[in-house]
Amino acid sequence: MQDLSLHLLDIIENSARARSTLIEISIGVLEQENRIVFNITDNGCGMDAITLENAQNPFYTSKSERQKKVGLGIPLFKQNAEWCNGHFEMSSALNEGTILKAEFEYDHIDRMPLGNVQDTILGSIIGHSEIDFHIRMYRILKNNECREFILDTRMIKSELGDIPITWPDVIQYLNDLLKEGIKNIKLEEF
Amino acid sequence: MKTLADLKAIREKAQQEMKLRNSNVRVKVIVGMGTSGIAMGAREVMKAFLDEVANRSLADVVVTQTGEKGFSSMEPVVDVVEEGKARITYGNMNAEKAKRVVVDHLVNGNPVKEFIISTEE
Repeated sequence: MQDLSLHLLDIIENSARARSTLIEISIGVLEQENRIVFNITDNGCGMDAITLENAQNPFYTSKSERQKKVGLGIPLFKQNAEWCNGHFEMSSALNEGTILKAEFEYDHIDRMPLGNVQDTILGSIIGHSEIDFHIRMYRILKNNECREFILDTRMIKSELGDIPITWPDVIQYLNDLLKEGIKNIKLEEF
Repeated sequence: MKTLADLKAIREKAQQEMKLRNSNVRVKVIVGMGTSGIAMGAREVMKAFLDEVANRSLADVVVTQTGEKGFSSMEPVVDVVEEGKARITYGNMNAEKAKRVVVDHLVNGNPVKEFIISTEE
């Protein structure tokens, strides 16, 4: 993975495969603490303690289609966080869901760029139209000012009524909304 | 700024269009978004399909993303599923190829033979 937004997409796909109906994602930059933090919570099928442990092992995968039994998604994300003086943790309960937290030192020389969060989120929302997403992106400045952008597909869907979220003009709308939102909060500025 | 009022306008326009034409889903495009697909550029392929659907107002096409199916060496992989037709799988995709699939296959009904890696009745 070349950047953090691709890791995020990989994690969202895990949540989707776990048959979640709601995925909550938050991405925050904390200037004072010099951190960038990711929080992904789903209400999918969850994992028991052994599977949860295995999920962090590169030689484990739950994907039965695979001939080569490796699963690098979670272990690489974890390794990247730990390399950047960060922190990674996953907790899960069977039939309740999974919570994943990853933290990176914002200024760390090895921290990957955030990348194209806009396309990760748009693709996930449209590509999994049956799942609801609550997206929160924020940046807390040194003076404690908080800039944030929130997108909740439940609100969008209720506004759309019988029009599907996959409708062409809606795709365009969400694309523009995300672009504006991310730009306004200056999520990743140098 | 995008507002909820914009969304309302979109809904009203879409309801008019739905009355005028059959907007049932005719084609499903499924982009493989497993770890290897993502690492090989599946997100850019997904975005290219979404851009084309939005720009060409293809209301009868739905683009979805899914986990992988074991074609790791030919990622990014895309399935096109049309009712009553064989499922077509395209491999080694990129944004440019995706645009060609939209024009040739989804709009004009001619699958792009050179990108096909498997066809399943």
